Amino acid sequence: MTVQKVEQVKHLPIKLGEVARYVIVPGDPNRVPLIANSLENPVHQGQNREFNAFKGTYKGTEISVVSTGIGCPSTAIAVEELSYIGAEVLIRIGTSGSVDNSAKKGEIFIATAAVRDDGTSKQYIPIEFPAIASHDLTENLIKASKALGIPTKIGICQSKDSFFGEVEPNRMPVAPYLENKWKAWQGGGVGASEMEAATLFTLAHIKKLMAGAVLAVEVSDAETVNNMTRIVLEAINYLEEDRNVE
Amino acid sequence: MSNNDANDSKGGLLDTPIQYHIQLKKGDVSDFVILPGDPGRVEFIAEHFDSAELVADNREYKTMTGSYKGRSVTVTSTGIGCPSTAIAVEELANVGVKTFVRLGTSGAMQEYTRIGDKVIATGAVRYEGTSVQYMPIEFPAVASHDMVSALIKSAKNSKITHHVGIVQSKDSFYGQHNPESMPIAAELLQKWDAWVKGGVLCSEMEAATLFVVGSYRKLRTGAVLLVAGDQARQESLTKEEYTQNMSDSINMILESSLDIKEGE
Repeated sequence: MTVQKVEQVKHLPIKLGEVARYVIVPGDPNRVPLIANSLENPVHQGQNREFNAFKGTYKGTEISVVSTGIGCPSTAIAVEELSYIGAEVLIRIGTSGSVDNSAKKGEIFIATAAVRDDGTSKQYIPIEFPAIASHDLTENLIKASKALGIPTKIGICQSKDSFFGEVEPNRMPVAPYLENKWKAWQGGGVGASEMEAATLFTLAHIKKLMAGAVLAVEVSDAETVNNMTRIVLEAINYLEEDRNVE
Repeated sequence: MSNNDANDSKGGLLDTPIQYHIQLKKGDVSDFVILPGDPGRVEFIAEHFDSAELVADNREYKTMTGSYKGRSVTVTSTGIGCPSTAIAVEELANVGVKTFVRLGTSGAMQEYTRIGDKVIATGAVRYEGTSVQYMPIEFPAVASHDMVSALIKSAKNSKITHHVGIVQSKDSFYGQHNPESMPIAAELLQKWDAWVKGGVLCSEMEAATLFVVGSYRKLRTGAVLLVAGDQARQESLTKEEYTQNMSDSINMILESSLDIKEGE
């Protein structure tokens, strides 16, 4: 499937020609300037709803930072519209909760795949289809974290739609359903729980984009965000180097 | 908790050193096993080792263990389908296998996946009944990142034409090859169309359960699928082409085994 390019999109504050090939996609619009601060010459391009957009460069490569808002519905809109205006590589930087305790508070988690506990990706492709990050991008994220000496955990994350269904499952009418599933994710080796990766990975695969995700486990302090940003920027640099070789 | 101790509980019918179906015990196998579907392919695979001997042959599970360039390796057939594959993976894990690489044949699903190509699976569509008796369907059937990397490296070094991506695992062979004749034809055809649009590379019958059971039991998994047929083009490999391509795939997996440290 070839992605149709369009001039104007409905929700994002940017249009064709204004987005880089590489886009960092945090959930929080307020985190966009923090991430963009690590770029050379960051420019604020605008904000509409939860979609805040900056663009700058890193080691000469253009990079955009665009927030998705919380959850897979707004993430799908961001992914669709980013691809319409020319983006090709999408990397989520986000926060998450610990699931099976393999990833501990304060650690950085690189997601290879996601549990599709969301509603949005099912409106694209049947549930049997796996939500998987791009192998090549994930390989470069791992390589970058090693080169920078930033320890990470690697594994499967869970993407849910209900934040309070995770943190206060007992008060939900579907409490047994939530608890049974959570136990299954723990038994299956799921490391982190968040709210956007499943749709990001599924939709990116369908649209032949590259996608990956780097998640902070149970923290969102400036130093951790900065470390995640450094990993992502260096991974983009590696991808760009490989591209220039080929 | 180590899931590898799952069957160590005392007192059951299965509580014996010799695993019930595969008829193997600790010491019979390497930590690295190649999993073809066909027991008739086991001997051919072992011919690519430097040495090999038959250690068990029961039902569809035939096992040979030997070495390749100084590394121990085992080959065990799974039989066709996810139910018998789950049994093989569980019992092999019980006797110490840590890395599982499936080697199978598949049907092309994309215009660019041609017969003779090798597909290195990063994940699998769970269109089968076994893995849902382990994990809810939302869980991704995903191969181990480091195994995929080792297979890609091996394929590149040997200049083997390969694709990296998602494959489809199904239970009904004839549901794929003759969907119109099935009472649920509409679902089969609509889902097939969705997988094709989703970029799924090829169709086979075991990878999804291998990957899901592997995640649960914390095993390293991967899969190499030789594209042997192409429904859309009505093409299939000749016997000679099949043998040569299977041989290339076996060598590719054996070379990748050298990147996996013994016992890890």
